[in-house]
Amino acid sequence: MDVTNILSSIQNGVNQDELDDGNYILDPGYLTVTNTEPIDVDLYKCILSQTKTSTNISNKTLETLPKSSYGALFSLPTTSSPDGPLAILPPPALLLPREKPLPKPKEPTKWEKFAAAKGIQKTKREKKVWDEEKQEWVARWGWKGKNKEAESQWLHEVPANADADHDPRKVARDERKARVAKNERQRLQNLAHAAGPSGDRKKEIDRTLATTRVSTASMGKFDRQLDGEKKPRGIKRKFDPAEASAEQEKKNALTLLSQMDSDSRKMRSGPLTKEEGVLNVRKAIRSASKGQGGVALGRKLDSSKRKSRR
Amino acid sequence: MLRTVKPRNARSKRAMEARQPKEVEDPRTCVFVKGTHTGEVVNNAMKELMALKRPDAITFNKKNDIHPFDASSNSQASLEFWSQKNDASLFLVGQSTKKRPNGLTFVRMFDSRVLDMIEVGVDKFVSMAEFKTPKSTPGNKPLLHFASDLFETHPRFSQLKSMLISFFNGETIESICLPGIEHVISISLSPTPQTLNTAIASADLPTTTPEDLSSLPKVHIRSYTIKLKASGTRIPKVDLIPMGPFLDLSLRRHTPPDPELLKQALRRPKLKKQDVEKGLGKKRKNFEVDEMGDLRGRVHVAKQDLSKLQTRKMKGLKSQFDEDDEQEAGGDDDVEMPMEKKQRTS
Repeated sequence: MDVTNILSSIQNGVNQDELDDGNYILDPGYLTVTNTEPIDVDLYKCILSQTKTSTNISNKTLETLPKSSYGALFSLPTTSSPDGPLAILPPPALLLPREKPLPKPKEPTKWEKFAAAKGIQKTKREKKVWDEEKQEWVARWGWKGKNKEAESQWLHEVPANADADHDPRKVARDERKARVAKNERQRLQNLAHAAGPSGDRKKEIDRTLATTRVSTASMGKFDRQLDGEKKPRGIKRKFDPAEASAEQEKKNALTLLSQMDSDSRKMRSGPLTKEEGVLNVRKAIRSASKGQGGVALGRKLDSSKRKSRR
Repeated sequence: MLRTVKPRNARSKRAMEARQPKEVEDPRTCVFVKGTHTGEVVNNAMKELMALKRPDAITFNKKNDIHPFDASSNSQASLEFWSQKNDASLFLVGQSTKKRPNGLTFVRMFDSRVLDMIEVGVDKFVSMAEFKTPKSTPGNKPLLHFASDLFETHPRFSQLKSMLISFFNGETIESICLPGIEHVISISLSPTPQTLNTAIASADLPTTTPEDLSSLPKVHIRSYTIKLKASGTRIPKVDLIPMGPFLDLSLRRHTPPDPELLKQALRRPKLKKQDVEKGLGKKRKNFEVDEMGDLRGRVHVAKQDLSKLQTRKMKGLKSQFDEDDEQEAGGDDDVEMPMEKKQRTS
């Protein structure tokens, strides 16, 4: 095959129109052109032999082919700019893997969720408000803000039943500070909610388990121990000091006595009367009615009487 | 794993925010790492590739005992750590051994995890310094030119193409100043061997036997500066002047991307409203943007029934006075008229 013709044509510079468009995949988004034409073996060998003789490895095919991509870029729609024409690039066709995952959309706040559910449109709140008295625009908040008006005015209305130390300025200021604190608390709650459940799930479970273990009637003393159950850690017994002052000791004893004597702690409010005897009526009813109570027992007795009459 | 730090001042907060994932990403920062032994060729090749990659490039001055393809070593963990520490998602690891002389490994990361790796051997390297020609400005975007059908058909070469685009040009931009483009990087392959042609036709299985590796065509990376000449038309004449570096590479080991990780990495953001209006994404009917950039819509209206058109109300035009109707339905009209009136008022 005679390659000289091809080479000469290449050296003269290939015309854009001569290049077969079907063999080009242009991706202007990444400024990339791919020539899908298979590389010609003879031409390649010819170039290799050329480069061996010359010190320069640059080969002519490789030089001429990229020119086509440049021509294609110039046919893109342009906008003018002070530095020259700006070619508007279409989005890239090739899918390149991203560097980082897509940013997560911001979690809506509690209010935003509510507003969306109710269909409440957000309205832009002007930073300045009109002051009727001053006849000028003042800041809604901040330095000389409208929200501090009640604190800074020189004359205050005091309610008739107000205390002697009633300070209207302080009341107004406290109200404002409370609003700020509430807003901050809600902001933090929203942040915590957006962050999702905390990662200390294990800690949480351990804490719940420790609580349940001492939540029985015997405070965990007579509970059945499971295999491999560990002693709860970090629980310290507390003792009163061995030496206490006489005053303290007396006080402790008196509190104990008063507790024993108090009505709330008493099981019975006095010695047994004759009527009561040794019978615990409440317990007897419970037992006779099989735990259903006195009313149910009475009903049952009634119905049995009727049956016997018939 | 880096500890998570809470920013203490505004500056560090801004710096941390700049590292957060973005919808439209910045170009990938590449870290150039030298392995335990690098020869002169690898050193120079890395230096010059860095010159092309600048300013999104970081070099490690010290040698590192890193073997990315060795699963038993903790190289992957090192790469992940460096990626987080430097906010870099590309690595070029140079290593020269007796078995694999002059090796360069491209490592691409996603979310600070290794996505895929390609190892190439540098067979021939010509430095920039050998061409006494003007060089491109650092940080200038190159044009990329790939020449071979294998870049579209063969999985190894399509991976290489994707990797090189990520390396040189992986940034989406909206517009570019055409006269400002200074250089072209051309990546071409040696002729496709017969074995590959038949292999692709029969089965599209990439096998990595040593025999197969030698049969893969070589990769030639050439970079040129562009010189524009007036041609009298809109498209100027282009002259290419060799700039260097020139690299002849042969493919070696590689790791294809993990399909699950790749799927995550290929997720795209939803198109914005503005983009949809421009005509991207879902096609909208009857909308077009004219040359002035105005959005124009075409509205189709059904043919109007002119017989029902309300004209000036006159007693004489009432249907009860119609001469031809009177004979056919004389009495009915009196009943219908009030109904019509009601409908109009409602």
